[in-house]
Amino acid sequence: MIPILGLAVGVVLGLLLDPSVPVWLQPYLPIAVVAALDAVFGGIRARFDGIFDAKVFVVSFVSNVVVAALIVFLGDQLGVGAQLSTAVVVVLGIRIFGNAAAIRRHLFRA
Amino acid sequence: MSAPAPPRPPGRSLGSSLLDQVLAETVDPAYAQAAEAKRARAKAAEAAHASRVRRARAAGEPEPAAPRVRGHRRGEALVAVTMVLAGLLAALTYSEASAGAAGREAVREALIDDIETESAATDDLVTTLTDLQTEVTAARDQALAASSVGQQALARLATAETGAAAVPVTGPGLVVTLGNPLPSAAQDPVGGSGTDDPTALVLDRDLQLLVNALWAAGAEAISVDGQRLGPTTAIRQAGGAILVDFRPVSSPYEVQAIGDPDLLNNGFLRSPEATYLAGLEITYGIVFTFGRADDLTLPGASSTELREAEPVPVTEGSSDPSADPASDPTTSDDGD
Repeated sequence: MIPILGLAVGVVLGLLLDPSVPVWLQPYLPIAVVAALDAVFGGIRARFDGIFDAKVFVVSFVSNVVVAALIVFLGDQLGVGAQLSTAVVVVLGIRIFGNAAAIRRHLFRA
Repeated sequence: MSAPAPPRPPGRSLGSSLLDQVLAETVDPAYAQAAEAKRARAKAAEAAHASRVRRARAAGEPEPAAPRVRGHRRGEALVAVTMVLAGLLAALTYSEASAGAAGREAVREALIDDIETESAATDDLVTTLTDLQTEVTAARDQALAASSVGQQALARLATAETGAAAVPVTGPGLVVTLGNPLPSAAQDPVGGSGTDDPTALVLDRDLQLLVNALWAAGAEAISVDGQRLGPTTAIRQAGGAILVDFRPVSSPYEVQAIGDPDLLNNGFLRSPEATYLAGLEITYGIVFTFGRADDLTLPGASSTELREAEPVPVTEGSSDPSADPASDPTTSDDGD
């Protein structure tokens, strides 16, 4: 319950405060959100599997976000930023989809 | 699926193994490892606790309490903070994306506003210019009409101005309309993009051909979309727009030609350009219509620059070599 509350608080804070993001960081925000979603879904799945671990969740969240942004940054420097972000979105999308399916099986037993 | 992926059967390509891995490992294997480690630690702690209990029992002391699981509360707080971060990130990205879309729209509207403001300013300036030109012409005519030399000059000026298309003219003639294909005719309403086929647009070439054919057929004065063609007026394309005398005109282009209607009509119909334009109409669906008009009014072409000036030759008994400064006071005296 507390994590869901935290998520809601974060969303409300972000919308109310509307802090300005530095321009150089803006291209990496969407990919960072996808990576964060992957970590969150992985955490939910792990909780349903009964193997949730706070440390693993926090570390995977931070590293996911940073690595995804870093990969896209590297791609931008090499001139393949768009393709690399597509690759990241595809891989993370598949994982999110698989985790969502597992969560659905846990919740509905179907 | 939380367990590490089973060893792959040999003989599978790297690509498929990569895909297998992506598809199989949807949850971080670190969770399984952490759970394993936790279980091992719990077992060790239990064993240690059991041995301590046994020792306590042997010594006759009270049993020690079971060890508390430490770090649980801290972990929960960490998770909550991380989730706050996730929400913050998502909200930020959303607001950035929406601000970007709104910003683009705002910039577009600002640009459109700028264009409209500047167009209005240009129109105002053109009106002012016309007024001033009328004033100058009136003053000049008044000054020249006072003397016979001036009247001759005035007559020559009138001939020159008519030739240079500087004065408005009226008369019967021919109206030819060229236009880009109508969207409904050229585009599939379902799959079409709604924009015109760029290869089917009327080009500056087509307008030039049409205008030249009209001149050849005996037109005395021609205007395109209300822009009178003078001797030096260009019809050319700049980007997607056709410029006549450096002012943009838009489809449909209405070309008005003043001249003997019969002569114009027959001459134009017989010209190869008319056949070419009719071919364009069939091939690309451009709009091509023409008809006679009994009463056309064409404006004057934009003002011609003054390039050369010479004093009016003195034929009468005025001995003053500088004619203009000398004649000015006398004419003003006569006028008043």
